[in-house]
Amino acid sequence: MTRGKWLAALCLVPFALFFIVFEIAPLVWVMINSLQSEEFGWGLANFSKIFSSKFYLQAIQYSLEISFWSSVFGIVIAVLGAYSLRRVDSKLRNFVNAFANMTSNFAGVPLAFAFIILLGFNGSITIMLKQSGIIQDFNLYSKTGLIILYTYFQIPLGVLLLYPAFDALREDWRESAALLGANGWQFWRHIGLPVLTPALLGTFVILLANALGAYATVYALTTGNFNVLPIRIAAMVSGDISLDPNLASALAVVLVALMTIVTVVHQLLLKRSYHVSR
Amino acid sequence: MSRAESGPAGLYHRVVVYLLFAILLLPLVGTLVYSIASSWSATILPSGFTFKWYLQLWSDPRFLHAFGQSLLVCVGALVLSVVLILPLLFVVHYHFPKLDALMNILILLPFAVPPVVSSVGLLQLYGSGPMAMVGTPWILIGCYFTVALPFMYRAITNNLQAINLRDLMDAAQLLGASTFQAAFLVVLPNLRKGLMVALLLSFSFLFGEFVFANILVGTRYETLQVYLNNMRNSSGHFTSALVISYFFFVLVLTWIANILNKDKSE
Amino acid sequence: MSYVSVQHLQKNYAGTTVFSDINCEINKGEFVTLLGPSGCGKSTLLRCIAGLTPVGGGKILLDGVDIVPLSPQKRGIGMVFQSYALFPNMTVEQNVAFGLRMQKVNADDSHKRVSEVLKLVELNDFASRYPHQLSGGQCQRVALARSLVTRPRLLLLDEPLSALDARIRKHLREQIRQIQRELGLTTIFVTHDQEEALTMSDRIFLMNQGKIVQSGDAETLYTAPVDVFAAGFIGNYNLLDADDASKLLQRPINHRIAIRPEAIELSLDGELDAQIRSHSLLGNVIRYRIEARGVELVVDVLNRSAADLHPDGQRLALSIDPTALCEVA
Repeated sequence: MTRGKWLAALCLVPFALFFIVFEIAPLVWVMINSLQSEEFGWGLANFSKIFSSKFYLQAIQYSLEISFWSSVFGIVIAVLGAYSLRRVDSKLRNFVNAFANMTSNFAGVPLAFAFIILLGFNGSITIMLKQSGIIQDFNLYSKTGLIILYTYFQIPLGVLLLYPAFDALREDWRESAALLGANGWQFWRHIGLPVLTPALLGTFVILLANALGAYATVYALTTGNFNVLPIRIAAMVSGDISLDPNLASALAVVLVALMTIVTVVHQLLLKRSYHVSR
Repeated sequence: MSRAESGPAGLYHRVVVYLLFAILLLPLVGTLVYSIASSWSATILPSGFTFKWYLQLWSDPRFLHAFGQSLLVCVGALVLSVVLILPLLFVVHYHFPKLDALMNILILLPFAVPPVVSSVGLLQLYGSGPMAMVGTPWILIGCYFTVALPFMYRAITNNLQAINLRDLMDAAQLLGASTFQAAFLVVLPNLRKGLMVALLLSFSFLFGEFVFANILVGTRYETLQVYLNNMRNSSGHFTSALVISYFFFVLVLTWIANILNKDKSE
Repeated sequence: MSYVSVQHLQKNYAGTTVFSDINCEINKGEFVTLLGPSGCGKSTLLRCIAGLTPVGGGKILLDGVDIVPLSPQKRGIGMVFQSYALFPNMTVEQNVAFGLRMQKVNADDSHKRVSEVLKLVELNDFASRYPHQLSGGQCQRVALARSLVTRPRLLLLDEPLSALDARIRKHLREQIRQIQRELGLTTIFVTHDQEEALTMSDRIFLMNQGKIVQSGDAETLYTAPVDVFAAGFIGNYNLLDADDASKLLQRPINHRIAIRPEAIELSLDGELDAQIRSHSLLGNVIRYRIEARGVELVVDVLNRSAADLHPDGQRLALSIDPTALCEVA
């Protein structure tokens, strides 16, 4: 390597340093310490504790349920929204696009508070729905409430990711299908949705990962009292009671493993669908 | 392709888009109304309107303190990012283009690994001992750097590819500039717009960050989001005014970024 | 009665008029080409006939019935696009069978008909391939098969060969024409390439700026262009205004004339009042630029032997066949 290249490589060092200190090192620590337990030393003690405890299993279950359903609802709304967004005039489209971008900044604590105002026990919408008799009672602080809340912040992300995916749908496929006798539904069923499937799956996976790791929204809504994985993990390293960083690490590994499994399944599903030449 | 449709199909699409807009707007509007309502309980609409909550907010020293601290941390993190990422990008794209593939995988880490998970390790590693940073703004600045990294790397990479870095550098060097001079005088000015947009968007994102701020420093260095959460027990009107103020601030930033973005694609 | 009849068709787009009063008649089994430069409205006219673009006014009669109010699904028209428009998630067989599926043809009949038509386009071995595994020419043949299998009443082709390279284009031209003859299918072909139009069509409609400038068979269009545009578009006409024509033919002429480059003979006998300025070799034709009696002309000579190759600067005698002089508007 020439001297110039050595100098250049040197420029990479400060970056590498910071990246290792703040990103890699904590990760490595977590992975190593998930296998460490105060009572039993090295081994899978933490994991067996997790998987034999109803409490932790419930956390995993709730995390998966909330993430799954919010991603499903989110992606359905996002698909319909992104598709229509492409077919309205450019002024409206640019405005709503920019607006969706901006509302993704609203997620987290502010969103939780906003939902309490609207859908809390005394929230406007809750009262409206109760008065018109649509529902008896609504508990925002339940699993259902959380699913609604999570769906809400999945929508802008979904729209953002899916919008360019519709580029893949060529107009002349539509026209060709029409001349061959296909109406709108048939086009979507036979051509449109199959072509979009890789993008849909990819977006779904990202939404799922987004929801699994979400902490701020659920913490702010329930003051850290709802049993999902991120809350459990944080409670065990920064709460007032029961500090157990090793168990927290194990839980963290479980969380990351869940996200990895989801990604792997996605890759497998992708391989099975056809390949569109680029 | 983007011709607006007319007729029944066009109407359907417009309705869907307006619905989408309405859904996204609703929580915002609710909060806004709450922040200017004098009181609002168990009824659909508030009973009166006032600006007193905003006055109370902006004259609260703790709020201003938190706002300032948020600003400091975000700006600090972005300065650090620029200092670290720009040379990195230049070196990777000019000297070691094969590293770009590796970098693209690395920058996935802050996305793939939720902040809660990193926090576990961060608390233990830097809670005490030689590198004790927990509870200080320094650990936030470092973490925020990793958060901003994917955005900035991607945005500036796209920019570099658009301006065709190699050709620019070659042309400048043939005209007598050293690598250093070429980088500063030729490449950097061309990155300005893209950099500004990336910075503004990253700033908006960092400003709303809560996880690291709450777990790693909490009230010891209260950022705006942590302050917001801590104020949950005070009047809902007060917190609404807080949320709207925060959102308005971010809105202005994103709006400026949008304008710059449009300017760029002239 | 003609099979396809376009009457007073009108189309506006974004404030400009694409065409205001188009009329044309096409007979059953005819192969007709819409020929013209980019932007003349030929593709728009085709899309109006297909129902992919709404019309502003007028009628389109297909077998006596006005199809303007019908959706594309119901018109019984097949169309081949310039970009093939093959469905990427389906194999060749599934692509071709799609139209039959929409017509609810049962699986056995469908399979039989698909095989037949794939044999017709010589792609029966490719039935289970995906579009991204095919070359451009093969894709276009699949697209053709897909529109033929539904036995349409009318076949439309929108510059189907423009995206292919020259050799494949020639081969496909012949194949399309042959299939069309075999099936007796009424066909409208759109192109900007005059060679395609001249070799393939029974009749040509020459279009310019939303109007049909001239219509007729290849021979007529080539030898008798009606106006300056037509003469300039088809062939390589020498267009002379009245003054230049008078100078060249040495008799008073008061209109513009067009002379085909191959209608001018060069020889070394006679009054040598023409001189070669430059030449280019086009393979089997030598194209000379000559100046004769103060007028610049292009002359094409068949490259039969070395005797036909004259050096630049050579003085020659001109002789022009008087029947090849064409009066143009």
